[in-house]
Amino acid sequence: MERAFVTVVSGLPRSGTSMMMQVLAAGGLPILSDGIREKDPDNPRGYYEYEPVKKTKQDPSWVKLAVGKAVKVIYSLVYELPAGYNYRLIFMQRNMDEVLASQKKMLDRSGRQGAKVSEAELAALFQKQLTDFYKWIAGQAQFSILTVNHRQMLSSTLIECKKIAGFIGEDFDDEAAAAVVSPLLYRNRWK
Amino acid sequence: MAKIKIDSKLYDRAKKFAELEGYSGIEEFICSVIEEKIALIDGPADQKAVHDQLRGLGYIE
Repeated sequence: MERAFVTVVSGLPRSGTSMMMQVLAAGGLPILSDGIREKDPDNPRGYYEYEPVKKTKQDPSWVKLAVGKAVKVIYSLVYELPAGYNYRLIFMQRNMDEVLASQKKMLDRSGRQGAKVSEAELAALFQKQLTDFYKWIAGQAQFSILTVNHRQMLSSTLIECKKIAGFIGEDFDDEAAAAVVSPLLYRNRWK
Repeated sequence: MAKIKIDSKLYDRAKKFAELEGYSGIEEFICSVIEEKIALIDGPADQKAVHDQLRGLGYIE
């Protein structure tokens, strides 16, 4: 039976959203993705992204295609998701130092430029944005939220997958989902 | 904890508003006002920094 809601995977960039998409796909949840952003050393199993998500503010019509599926939406674009749908939001949480280290590596590798502020400033800015996001989402009746800690996802994978199964409902194979999580991809561990 | 000097009349007005608005005390009210003001001043620059970072990473356009 198709789920009558959109499963949204979100979080900061490099918080484990692609890993979560792999988990959901392995568990049997259909994925809305176009493969335009190809896999690379930063995400060797792929990004699982859907390009129209980036233009949600201008054209949110793609959301109807996401009903019954999972789609990756960076936290700052969740605000743009249209009313009239039910969303189950899986929000990835990861140590900020690890997030920033991974972002820096990704920017260095791609040769692209990020924010021209110090790492400490960037950490404070992201933290503030997360605080604002949590406050906002708590007041949005169309969203249910499950937070998943990146490190726990790696260390207690099956337990986390069972929580996900409880959140998105029946027909989710938590054991198959857990089997795809690879600690080998956990490279920016903060010590 | 830092201390600041504040005009007595302004303090009395702030105290009254803190009570009216349901703050736990004048300190919470004043900190809240200062944070809001800083956010107004710093907001656009902060947003640009985050925007630059997200765009550089390829997550927004």
